[in-house]
Amino acid sequence: MKPGAPPPRRRLPGPARLGVYAFLLCAAAFFLLPLYVMLVTSVKPMEEIRLGNLFALPVAVTIEPWAAAWSDACTGVACEGIRGGFWNSVAIVVPSTILPILFGALNGYTLAFWRPRGSATLFAILMLGAFIPVQVMMFPMVRILAGMGLFSSLPGIVLVHLVFSMPVMTLLFRNYYASIPQELFKAARVDGGGFLRIFVQLMLPMSTPMIIVAAIMQVTGVWNDYILGLVFAGRDNLPMTVQLNNVINTTTGERLYNVNMAATILTSLVPLAVYFVSGRWFVRGIAAGAVKG
Amino acid sequence: MIGPGKFCAALALALAGCAAHAAGPRAEVIHWWTSGGESAAVKKISEAYRAAGGVWVDTAIALGEQARSVTINRIVGGNPPTAAQFNTSKQFLDLVEQGLLNDVDDVAKREGWETLFPETVLRVIKVKGHFYAAPVNIHNMAWIWYSKAALKKAGVAAEPRTMDELFAALDRLKAAGLVPLAHGGQSWQDNIVFTAVLANVGGADLYLKVLRDRDPAAIGSEAFRKVLLTFKRLQTYVDPGSPGRNWNDATAMLITGKAGFQIMGDWAKGEFALAGKAPDRDYGCIAGFGAAPPYLIQGDVFVFPKTKDAQAVKAQKLLAAVATAPATQVEFSIKKGSIPVRSDVDASRMDVCAQKGIAIMKDKSRHLANGEVFLTPDQNGALADIVTAYWNRNMPVEKVQKDIAAALAN
Amino acid sequence: MGTKLNAIRRHAVSWTAMLPMAAIVIVAYLGTALWTLRISLSSSRTFPKDDFVGLAQYARLFANDRWMLSLENLALYGVLFIAAALVIGFLLAVFIDQKVAGEGVLRTVFLYPYAMSFVATGLAWQWMLNPEAGIQQAVRRMGYPEFRFDWIVDQDMVMYTIVIATVWQSSGLVMALMLAGLRGIDEEIWKAARIDGIPKWRVYASIVLPMLGPSVATVFMLLATAVVKLFDSVVAMTQGGPGTASEVPTKFIMDHLFGRANIALASAGSIVMLLTVLALVAPILYARSRARRPREAA
Repeated sequence: MKPGAPPPRRRLPGPARLGVYAFLLCAAAFFLLPLYVMLVTSVKPMEEIRLGNLFALPVAVTIEPWAAAWSDACTGVACEGIRGGFWNSVAIVVPSTILPILFGALNGYTLAFWRPRGSATLFAILMLGAFIPVQVMMFPMVRILAGMGLFSSLPGIVLVHLVFSMPVMTLLFRNYYASIPQELFKAARVDGGGFLRIFVQLMLPMSTPMIIVAAIMQVTGVWNDYILGLVFAGRDNLPMTVQLNNVINTTTGERLYNVNMAATILTSLVPLAVYFVSGRWFVRGIAAGAVKG
Repeated sequence: MIGPGKFCAALALALAGCAAHAAGPRAEVIHWWTSGGESAAVKKISEAYRAAGGVWVDTAIALGEQARSVTINRIVGGNPPTAAQFNTSKQFLDLVEQGLLNDVDDVAKREGWETLFPETVLRVIKVKGHFYAAPVNIHNMAWIWYSKAALKKAGVAAEPRTMDELFAALDRLKAAGLVPLAHGGQSWQDNIVFTAVLANVGGADLYLKVLRDRDPAAIGSEAFRKVLLTFKRLQTYVDPGSPGRNWNDATAMLITGKAGFQIMGDWAKGEFALAGKAPDRDYGCIAGFGAAPPYLIQGDVFVFPKTKDAQAVKAQKLLAAVATAPATQVEFSIKKGSIPVRSDVDASRMDVCAQKGIAIMKDKSRHLANGEVFLTPDQNGALADIVTAYWNRNMPVEKVQKDIAAALAN
Repeated sequence: MGTKLNAIRRHAVSWTAMLPMAAIVIVAYLGTALWTLRISLSSSRTFPKDDFVGLAQYARLFANDRWMLSLENLALYGVLFIAAALVIGFLLAVFIDQKVAGEGVLRTVFLYPYAMSFVATGLAWQWMLNPEAGIQQAVRRMGYPEFRFDWIVDQDMVMYTIVIATVWQSSGLVMALMLAGLRGIDEEIWKAARIDGIPKWRVYASIVLPMLGPSVATVFMLLATAVVKLFDSVVAMTQGGPGTASEVPTKFIMDHLFGRANIALASAGSIVMLLTVLALVAPILYARSRARRPREAA
């Protein structure tokens, strides 16, 4: 997909081409089936859902569940649906995307080109850390943040996201920079480039595609995060997913499945929009890195 | 970045701050009453608290485990709520022992909690002579519900009064092509059935010997073996789609007349009510079998994390008084499907099943605490794992008895 | 002298750049790992306790049927999930890479599950897999009364349903990463292969796949962490049931960390998982670092 000359089309012959479409359409059907169930359920009244005809189209279409999910559903004393936490989520997502990417890129750059003594060991521990469930680290993290005076605050939750995203962000950028030829870096050194100058003027511009990839992963992860936001953000900064879980989850309370489905789809619209908008870059981004690899 | 939400929160905070003297004590309350009916219930407490001059700040967090872990984390992080919901159980005992809770002794003395509340509840809220929790309601998790339509269709004339009659009715339902027992095959629901069978077939004595005394002889006894076998026999009456099902989907099977019985807590009334079904008309509720079946006591309480802030302490005491006041307790329980903790209330506005429960509770000999009152959360969980494994898998009953004895010995 | 000073300065700058990461690694990761190890040797319940009970928690852990079953389940799940997600993600990427119409739509279709919270999508899966309400029932109504698809209520098959649902959720991301890798491969290779008359599938198998090595490694790492942390989907779909048939270690750890108020046992479980990962990953990392060094030196 290079600009300019049209790429040679790698077409399979007739029957094989049909096979390709058959495979993709079957796969698409498989992938869409749960979404179909969710959409259909979200516009059925509860009486219809109780009858249990999961795949049947609604007899009486209602959009009330969507209104309830967005703005009316009671989750405790407040009855504001999931919209309450929307701006809180935005306020958490923006810094929790920018900072981890910045540090991920810096770490990756240092690990790939400068390799200070001991950095490989640090990286190995970081990779191992990616296997610890965040909940296990929660208790000590609460203590540490409380000690720093950051518990229950916006900077606190951003720092927590920075900590938990560091393994993946560092891995992404390290592998990306590792695939860039060392000669390029050496040439820049010979030209008298210092640590920061090479990073800012050479590496960062070259990483735009990877930055977009990382941004997409980070936006999805932070936007959908529930447990960290719940514990570390503090009452005034609770993200939207807390309300989403309040709408959906209950043990002994009654469940309004139509509202649940509507609320889930509504919440996922932000990451979905990010995919739609940046879908092209997402794919090309990694491509640009892999070209050199 | 200042979004509208933050701005409003800041404004509310500012208002609460400057209105502190005029508006009275401010209570931030963590609870997990997030579904529709539960929301309506907690609103009753918040209204009563406001009416008493306080400012209610609501922090609703779905799922008990989640909400309790946030409470504990916030206590550890030095930012505790004014009050937090726990179950009527040992869940908050560690908090008490660590000295992390304030007592509400003066409210308890003033209101006479000692004589007002059932012994079972007192056993939980009173630790070493101090009152650490304000009880809100009593749930019985072991009601037996039935669909009048389904029983009629199967030709079951009267509601069963013994375990044998229940099995006879289940057989008739099966013969009529209906699902005899609507059951959600999740661990906690399997355990509700187990508890119901232990209380009804084993009786209060065996129940206490097993769960309270953790007596290996009782667990190894013939009587307990019979309890386990009866429990396992019930499993043969569920449909193949049972595993993993939510409890309300099982209740929906009663509502649509597809199934006959369900063993579930009194919160199931909320699901019937949502579908426009009325007790006695569309469905029936059986509190237990035999002449004087025990009433299993479960419920919710508020605890009050330690603070020295005089305003917060005032708020804690006010909330303890408001939450236990007769009117609040009735209003709350009407919405929640539970019954009040205290017996000196006007229950005339409550539904038939709740009135049945309140009548039973008048007889002290029938009070029976749920297992969590006696067992640590850890022991209770280990027991639950064995019970759910037994319900779902074929294994010798002797092994189950042995496993339970080992799990409770810890 | 000047060069030495330069070298020192160089090290100082690069070390300064590593400081935030070093701080996070040491305080957050190494620190909590050691803290967890300490707790696992105590009798802590809701709160950490200072006592020392030796390996009692580990003994209890390995005497626990549910924990042992969880480990078995996770091993089975891990192999199937990683294999299936890699293969399906790779196939989707290859097929989408055939200049198909509507590529953008298809890509989004395969990627959307990644954007949604499993709390609700898991419920949709639970319903669809339920024999009384879902696919089995629908196919039977279409005139195949003997059709059976009741894995989710079957003790021996339930783990496969978790595999299906999580592959559904993850393979879109795998596809995207693989597709990106494919797009990066030089068009010249295809031309050359065509001129030499090499069949297309062989080009994929023996030329393209090895070239995707770095992408595969990144994807493998992401999938592996997802395996160890498997929790949400199990809770949403089966709650570990029927019975304890789909229990997994992380759920055991969570249950004891919160609901069952036994952080010592939960910590012991975490340490066991961490050591297992270490035992599995360390040889790979070691082999890779050995393999890379000569090439980099060259």
